[in-house]
Amino acid sequence: MALSAAGSVDASPLAGVRRTLPRWPGWNRLPREARDTLFLLAVIGWTVLPHASHLPAWSLALTAAVLLWRARLALNNAALPGRWVLIGVLVAALALTFWSYRTLLGKEPGVTLAVALMALKTLELRARRDAFVVFFLGFFIILTHFLYSQSIAVAAAMLVSVWGLLTALVLAHMPVGQPSLAQASGLAARTALLGAPVMALLFVLFPRIGPLWGVPQDGISKTGLSNTMKLGSMTEVAADDAIAMRVHFDGPAPVPAQMYFRGPVLTRFDGFEWTQLGLPFAPQSLPPRPPVLETKGTPIHYEVTLEPLRLASVPLLEATTDVAPIDGYRVVARDDLQWLADRPILERLRFKATASTEYVLGAPRRFGELQDSLELPVGFNPRTVTWARAFRDSHRGANATRLADALLDHIRRNGFSYTLAPGDYGRNAVDEFWLDRKEGFCEHFAAAFVVVLRAAGVPARIVTGYQGTDLPPVDGYYVVRQSSAHAWAEYWQTGVGWIRADPTGAVAPDRIGRSTRLAPPQGFVAGTLDAMNPRLFAELRSAWEAMNNRWNQWVLNYSRGQQFDVLKQIGFESPSWEDLALLLAGTLSGLAIAGAVWAWLDRHHVDPWVRQLERIRRGLRSLGIAAASHEAPRTLAGRVRATLGGGGEKLAAVLDALEARRYSRDAARRPDPAMTREFASEARRLRAVAPR
Amino acid sequence: MSVPVAQALTAPWNVRLRVRRWLAARLPRTDTQLLTQGNIYILPTRAGWMFALTLVVLLLASVNYQLNLGYVLTFMLAGSGIVSMHVTHGTLRGLTLHLKPVAPAFANSAAVLDIVMSSPSSARFGIGLRLLEAPAATLAWTDVPAGGQANAHVSYVPAARGLHDVPTLSAETRFPLGLFRAWTVWRPTARLLVYPEVEADAPALPAARPVSSGAQARPSVGGEIEGVRAYRRGDPLKLIAWKKAAQALETGAELVSRDTSSSARQELWLEWTACGRLAPEQRLSRLAAWTLAADRADADYGLRLPGVDIAPAEGAAQRARCLEALALWH
Repeated sequence: MALSAAGSVDASPLAGVRRTLPRWPGWNRLPREARDTLFLLAVIGWTVLPHASHLPAWSLALTAAVLLWRARLALNNAALPGRWVLIGVLVAALALTFWSYRTLLGKEPGVTLAVALMALKTLELRARRDAFVVFFLGFFIILTHFLYSQSIAVAAAMLVSVWGLLTALVLAHMPVGQPSLAQASGLAARTALLGAPVMALLFVLFPRIGPLWGVPQDGISKTGLSNTMKLGSMTEVAADDAIAMRVHFDGPAPVPAQMYFRGPVLTRFDGFEWTQLGLPFAPQSLPPRPPVLETKGTPIHYEVTLEPLRLASVPLLEATTDVAPIDGYRVVARDDLQWLADRPILERLRFKATASTEYVLGAPRRFGELQDSLELPVGFNPRTVTWARAFRDSHRGANATRLADALLDHIRRNGFSYTLAPGDYGRNAVDEFWLDRKEGFCEHFAAAFVVVLRAAGVPARIVTGYQGTDLPPVDGYYVVRQSSAHAWAEYWQTGVGWIRADPTGAVAPDRIGRSTRLAPPQGFVAGTLDAMNPRLFAELRSAWEAMNNRWNQWVLNYSRGQQFDVLKQIGFESPSWEDLALLLAGTLSGLAIAGAVWAWLDRHHVDPWVRQLERIRRGLRSLGIAAASHEAPRTLAGRVRATLGGGGEKLAAVLDALEARRYSRDAARRPDPAMTREFASEARRLRAVAPR
Repeated sequence: MSVPVAQALTAPWNVRLRVRRWLAARLPRTDTQLLTQGNIYILPTRAGWMFALTLVVLLLASVNYQLNLGYVLTFMLAGSGIVSMHVTHGTLRGLTLHLKPVAPAFANSAAVLDIVMSSPSSARFGIGLRLLEAPAATLAWTDVPAGGQANAHVSYVPAARGLHDVPTLSAETRFPLGLFRAWTVWRPTARLLVYPEVEADAPALPAARPVSSGAQARPSVGGEIEGVRAYRRGDPLKLIAWKKAAQALETGAELVSRDTSSSARQELWLEWTACGRLAPEQRLSRLAAWTLAADRADADYGLRLPGVDIAPAEGAAQRARCLEALALWH
């Protein structure tokens, strides 16, 4: 279909493409094979297109080239390339994939290879019926899109893809003549629509079980939370807009600046990497060591819908005091106020929790905890350590809080700047950052802050998590995105406890407590709309977001909890997934039995016209009039008139009407049961008056 | 579509074929077959099994990555697959197959079965017809319009002369998604009359003889023209029936000369004994070729076989009478 865009303007950039392609004869004048092939190529192009942002450039170029080449062969009705050409290109694709990712396993190499295979398979399409491999690869590629995004837009695009693939499949099984695309796509849509009830039933009732095996950890290493932090490994943080969690507050929401969602607490530092103390999950066998926590103010009740972060750590509002039991997981608070599950959470969870934003995290229970928060690796960042000692000496007598405040002041005044692309840092990353380059993002600020404090003799540690949400909330839900991942610091103030300090806030106050993330420049359409009617634009936007939220809540977040809610509504007391499986199996077998019964009835089905005439013949015979099964109503009407004379006129009229209804120019499709009734009652009357 | 059935038929070690033939032999014969629940079979195709495998892979991926849209995709495809099974079955259900009277055919050349398919309800797409024992590549595809009829031709090559049952036919469809194949097996009642194979490059027609016994027929220029016979070397040009010759040459037959006889009527007899020392079947082939030649020449001809004697006549009826006698002679 892209080919038809090659218009008649010679100066168009498509002119070059057009020279290499034969003259476009028009969609309807193409030979059948060529048309079907081009349609399939267009569907494949559409299916692969959303991957454009994830795939390496060579893969896109290869796919486009192969599809265009195949289109050209189809238009010229030329021979397909030989097997060795295909094997050569396949080997090249494998080599390039390995070159791009250093592996052939995992999500992205897999997607790259699947796209390459699908493109190459089109060069092997000889008969329409050979196309099954392309269809199945196509369905698989559609699924891979959902690994990246499950938004409404992606769903709509993929719905079109499924429709296109089914249409191509239907076309392949209409071997006669030249069926139109509209006809084939109508048949495909009908098939899918009739299948929709089955889909809905399976979607609602299919038990949502956990992952069957560990999912490779790739795809999340780029952004978001993890159990470790490493400076210098990341030169740039990709702004990942994926949603990490949605929070719904029962009462008033805390101010944005208070929305710190506490994740892994990183205390141990080996010069390169910051790691947690203890296990990154809460083992079943050990009793939890609860935090020493004093809270003030009214507790905040809130509900969290947590996306699968593939961590055991559950980022929750500081300081969450209580978490409602979560089905299938045991979630406890540790003494560093981190909430941990007993295993990584690989599914979407929804649960309620209670928090207080005014709190004091108190004394350690373990001997030597503060010691852990003072250790610095020997031989790393020597200039910062020296600088920190000098700094401490210049603030003689200051307590930890005064030192921290002075440090924040130092950051504010000495030319530090916040950037998401700070470039590469070397072995002594903190030295480079703190004394030389002075630009970085939250991780650099938090790490340098903690190193300086430790060198100055103040126990300190890094806390990672999320800070801030999207504003305004959509349908009352505050959306926390992966791009809101944050790192801040905590230091120990003797006599008080752990105190939060966010050095990033000292240099980029709008990063903390900002109401909205930096808005991207508006597109042309949005700009025009905004200029014409700002309120309309805002309303459209909020309607869209509300729809998106419904989508998220009802389609994407439909998980075990919601399934059990459905079961409870049906009347199961304490639903389990076995109940779900039984209900599903029961419903499906019920449907199958209903189908079998229908088929049996259909087998014994008698044409309604035949049934009606049979009743009428019985009625005639009861009046003593012969009626053979081959005789038409008109013949019978004649015989009624001859036998009964004027008394039978009414019966004969019914028979004539029946004849007209069935055989005349404007015949009806179905018999009229009223005629049968009228005939039967008249026959009864005649029987009653007839002399015996 | 023409298939040498003989090959398929001579494979007694093929157990599957024997079982299939035994099953087919149990079917009642009818020339008009209404397809119902009871005589349509349906099974997944290889592509159907592959589709099921794809669904399993998609489901595993959805479970493992907790993709709700993956579930939607998987279940949508599963639903479409289930619906397609019913559509495939429904494509055949309610269809009526009717075999038109079968025209006789010659052995080792194509016999055409003319089949009318009619649908009382919706349109049907992609229905393929073939002999049950012929390979799938020989399917003749037809669409049947809604409430209408469509013709399909299935041809095959009968191996031997005689009166044979029309072979068992099979109609199948994979519409709409190709995941299932529904088929039916149909044994028509009609029988096919197979004439002997026509001998290629048969020698010229034998000479016509005068009716009066003993008198030697002598072609002459003088007498009255009585009929025509095949051209013989030495016939003068003006004896050639040019009008007929033009037709005859067009169809590849030989020239025709006017037969003149001054004295007696002459008759063309196609005789068993005139075929030299050929084997019986080859004699029949030659006689069939002669019958066709004589018919093309619009001659009066008769046929003499051991036990069969058909008086000279001409026209389509004579041709059919003679060929039938040749087909059924034993």
